[in-house]
Amino acid sequence: MTAASATVALLSAPGPTLADHLATHGPLPPGDAIAVAEEAGLTGRGGGGFPTAVKLRSVAGGRRAPVVVANGSEGEPASAKDAVLLSRAPHLVLDGIALVAGTLGAASAVLAADAARLPELAPHVAERRDRLPVRLHPVAAGYLAGEESALVAALNGRAPVPTSKFPPVRERGVDGRPTLVINVETLARLALLARGDSSAGDRALLTRRLERAGRLWVDVVDAPLSTPLAEWLPLDADVQAVLIGGYAGTWVPARTAARLSLDHSGLAAAGARLGAGVLAALPADRCGLRETARVVHFLAGESAGQCGPCLNGLPRIAAAMDLLARPAPPPPDLLPAVRRWCGLLPGRGACSHPDGTVRLVAGALGVFGPELDRHRAGTCTARVHRAFLPVPRRPR
Amino acid sequence: MTGAALWYLNRATGMVALVLMTLTIVLGTTVRRHGRLPGLPRFGVVHMHRNVALLSALLVAGHVVTAVVDSYVDIGATAAVLPFTAGYRPLAVGLGALAVDLALLVLVTSLLRDRLPRRLWAPVHLTSYALWPLAAVHGLTAASDLGGGWLLLLVLACAAATAWASLAALATRRAARPPSERARDAMAESVAAFAAGRPAGRYRNG
Repeated sequence: MTAASATVALLSAPGPTLADHLATHGPLPPGDAIAVAEEAGLTGRGGGGFPTAVKLRSVAGGRRAPVVVANGSEGEPASAKDAVLLSRAPHLVLDGIALVAGTLGAASAVLAADAARLPELAPHVAERRDRLPVRLHPVAAGYLAGEESALVAALNGRAPVPTSKFPPVRERGVDGRPTLVINVETLARLALLARGDSSAGDRALLTRRLERAGRLWVDVVDAPLSTPLAEWLPLDADVQAVLIGGYAGTWVPARTAARLSLDHSGLAAAGARLGAGVLAALPADRCGLRETARVVHFLAGESAGQCGPCLNGLPRIAAAMDLLARPAPPPPDLLPAVRRWCGLLPGRGACSHPDGTVRLVAGALGVFGPELDRHRAGTCTARVHRAFLPVPRRPR
Repeated sequence: MTGAALWYLNRATGMVALVLMTLTIVLGTTVRRHGRLPGLPRFGVVHMHRNVALLSALLVAGHVVTAVVDSYVDIGATAAVLPFTAGYRPLAVGLGALAVDLALLVLVTSLLRDRLPRRLWAPVHLTSYALWPLAAVHGLTAASDLGGGWLLLLVLACAAATAWASLAALATRRAARPPSERARDAMAESVAAFAAGRPAGRYRNG
């Protein structure tokens, strides 16, 4: 096989069944997941971007056999890539689980996903002859339910909220065993890399969100990281800014985004990270501050209510953002106060929820600075009042 | 030291220890309720609770030592920690010994709090609520001068303060919202505060 023909996109199988999977990708050859991840320089696709080989090694060779948890919870409302991957190519994910579980000598394996997705996954899991059967686990609703320690807490029968980072789940997680919580896309990439598709690690699933002629367009693509961002989003006069990474991500002005490539150093040039792979092109007829305020409102409401800085800080910032998002002069000292609060929160919660939220806010206050001036003068960019970024409304 | 001095010292340390224990409980429930004292930051209340508790432990130690050393009544070193083994008023002194044991347990677990799981520390710490009545009944039954007068009034005032603080702590605990609802409450409070021009973010996760 030539290198070019060995490159198969993650979503290229014609259907989700085992037969489709085997016809497209062939059987999973035996291999060492750590060596495969190391050689490809694979990084985690759940948002953190942590080197996968290091993560795998951290649970390997301990006294107790580890537990592998494939994380398909995708709490990020703007992201759909994990859901699409699980419905289009579940066997790549299951191959990844089998590969990792085999390398680590795992005691058990769990695939965690939204409860609505489990009925369609169950037959795919049952169809396989893996040495270690995969247990399906329904993830609780909520932005934080997919956070590593929250997921482990749920698997241990406790409330699905983040817990203290000591001991870390890689040392003591599900049933007290060393636990590997790994994103489903990362696992699917491992399954392709193990088959010799060396480019699989240099691609990423992206959830694109844009509007063309007033119509919303959302899709998932498997994009090479070496390509320019502009190849995947139309960055013309109808787009004012791009949200990169997700709701814990960063706004970048469209003109800056047009110069960026998708790889780590390319995005880092604009202070952005690919995170969960969300690319949302904010139309020119919307108010970036209003969109951000809605998202921050949602994020503040998703606080687990455990840590003071998050519980007191985020609602305060969200309420202040509401005032800044209005086309009216805000209280005179509000903007400096919000900037100060944003500086007070990072690193002070059990999880990084406050860190991600203030990253979004601080970025928005910078990128939409001209909009802040317009609001102070009583005007607003927004011509269309329909919301662009999705915010789930869920009964509690 | 003369017997009379020891006896006076014993009564004084016992009495002051009871007052400080009362203060410790009031401060402890204030910590539990995320309360403030005028002029003190919130961590100041925590430190004050700890320091007053340590001071009362010191006085209890003095109280025990003087009782043992004083040869007028028959209380041995073992009777000070083993309940109901004293020669002098075994029941009354025994309650005191029980209180000393509990206090030791609370003291040691709190000194080791950084190294103990909260699941272990918290229930042990809750036994301080039993400690106070034990100490108070010990005082009322073992001491010869609490039959009346202003000392008795002081003990009753301490009892009232302890009862009030305990009930307030219980009420706060019952009123506490589950964590899952706190974020929404805090959100509503912040929005209302900004609308009214009040400083926002007074929400307490207690």
